[in-house]
Amino acid sequence: MKLQGAKGPASKVDVVRGAELEARPRRLRGTPWVYHLKGWLGLVPFLLFCLLFELLPAVIIIQGSFTDSITGAITLNNYQRMLSQAQNLHAFQTSIYLSLSSALVGAVFGFLAAYGVYRLRTGWLRNFLVGFSSITANFAGVPLAFAFIATLGANGFMTVAIHNWFHVNLYDIGFNLYTLGGLVLVYTYFQLPLMILVMIPALNGLRPEWREAATNLGASGFTYWRRVALPILMPSLIAATMLLFANSFGAYATAYALAQGAINIVPILISFVVAGNIQIDTGLGNALAVGMIVVLLAAVSLHTVLVRRASVWGGRP
Amino acid sequence: MSAAQAKPRPVRRSFGFNKIFLILAIIYLLVPLVATLFFGLAGSGGIDFSTFQQIIGDPNFRQTLILSLELAFSTTILAIVLVTPTAYWVHLRVPKARPLMDFLTLMPFAVPAIIMSLGLVELYGTNDTLTSVLSFGLVPVLSYDPFNIIDTPQLLVCAYVILSLPFVYRPIDNSLRAINTTTLTEAAYSLGSGWWRTFLTVVLPNIWPGIISAALLTFSTVMGEFTLASLFGIFTFPIYLDEIGQENAREAASLAILSFIFTLICVLAIIFLVRRSAGRIRDDSELEIVATK
Repeated sequence: MKLQGAKGPASKVDVVRGAELEARPRRLRGTPWVYHLKGWLGLVPFLLFCLLFELLPAVIIIQGSFTDSITGAITLNNYQRMLSQAQNLHAFQTSIYLSLSSALVGAVFGFLAAYGVYRLRTGWLRNFLVGFSSITANFAGVPLAFAFIATLGANGFMTVAIHNWFHVNLYDIGFNLYTLGGLVLVYTYFQLPLMILVMIPALNGLRPEWREAATNLGASGFTYWRRVALPILMPSLIAATMLLFANSFGAYATAYALAQGAINIVPILISFVVAGNIQIDTGLGNALAVGMIVVLLAAVSLHTVLVRRASVWGGRP
Repeated sequence: MSAAQAKPRPVRRSFGFNKIFLILAIIYLLVPLVATLFFGLAGSGGIDFSTFQQIIGDPNFRQTLILSLELAFSTTILAIVLVTPTAYWVHLRVPKARPLMDFLTLMPFAVPAIIMSLGLVELYGTNDTLTSVLSFGLVPVLSYDPFNIIDTPQLLVCAYVILSLPFVYRPIDNSLRAINTTTLTEAAYSLGSGWWRTFLTVVLPNIWPGIISAALLTFSTVMGEFTLASLFGIFTFPIYLDEIGQENAREAASLAILSFIFTLICVLAIIFLVRRSAGRIRDDSELEIVATK
């Protein structure tokens, strides 16, 4: 091939010409095998890091979920116990209910609020609200739980204020922050702004011409939304809802700080395993973790599929 | 505006309708912040800052804050140093590895911190043949003295790097796509620059906004991360906050406000430093999803 000319002993001119010839094929297609190997070698540090701290923990959890934690034999016993004990099933039920309801509440109100932001004409106000949303979407975990305790806890600022203004004690009429309902209220705090952040780009994809065309053809505002805007937005709406679901399904810190483990959700059950609680052994903990990953992977893959469809559908410029 | 003039009623009504929900949402988001601020400041009649003084005087406060800052700095630096050259290398030399990179950097979204901590504790706390072989013998090395990393801040930093991959890789990768990296690199090569020199003096200055955004998000995440630190038993700032909260709601409220101000500073820094220089707003907004809840 061309390269061989450059390798043998040759005059100075030949070497220079050879180097010229060599330069292109080496970069583009010459000795592809070595070139590709060197390319992959550059990834080794990153891949090794991911292997040690990302992949192998997952591997050991999956392996452990099929292993008896005392004898080390391969077994389905962990899954059997996970699915037969009421406490575990109840935890999954609570977790899914909590994530789904906070995702739906966040999605509906977040979408309506995002539409409000989208229709704003003042640029600075819009930017301000987007910034405010990204701050509040990131305000989660322990501080958020304590902010809500300070606001709506038994002696919280708003609880006391409502008692003083309206002479109604929230806790007498059935409200309780430290229950599942209260947790939905707290989770919505980071879900709603996240929905606003995710939906604004999607809403920006709605072109004014579509509305004008619909109006020209005699569509009312309602018909435009039902027949044009919502079908276009629907994939992004569903995808965003799945994102919110995944966002709250793995949440641990907020629930823990609010109720100190009193609410029976899957992440808290798993934390008992790590903390060495005797009621739950490692095998069961692994099975619970795999169960969680399965639920989350279902949500994430649905999200990916729908996002792909949305980008085909919307035909954004 | 012309639409509003031509057909005033339906447009204006829907406008008001949506404004109501926007205002309701803003109220919902503001009330806990304002109430927490008042709750934290309200002393025995009137506003007083004694709670803040009390907090600042607490040695645990300073100690945990310093530890969290150290963790945050090390995580940020390690994440950037690990991811940036890799992302550039993938972009330039192994585009085929992109699906793998997407998988690896999105996986922390699907695997919550609580599962990660369970996996890490098991991986480095027990003896297992399969993982020892799969890690080329590195796991046993890291599981025993002198390199035992179980329940150490070092392991915490490594876990945080993984946790922050989704929002470190994406902005950097997006920036690399936006600046026409291949052309820039070929230009630098043709002028005789080597790989590292090209990377440091040509590519890096051009993707600076993405890196700053990634760094600030990582920093803010680590400062607030509770799950892993609590399960590894490392006394960081969020753990301290949780401990205080069990005893004294007023101090906890003040600390929550401090945390909020910290998040505020990080996000504002991203908005002003990064968005201004990048000059685009829409594409970046979805990147500001921080994983730890």
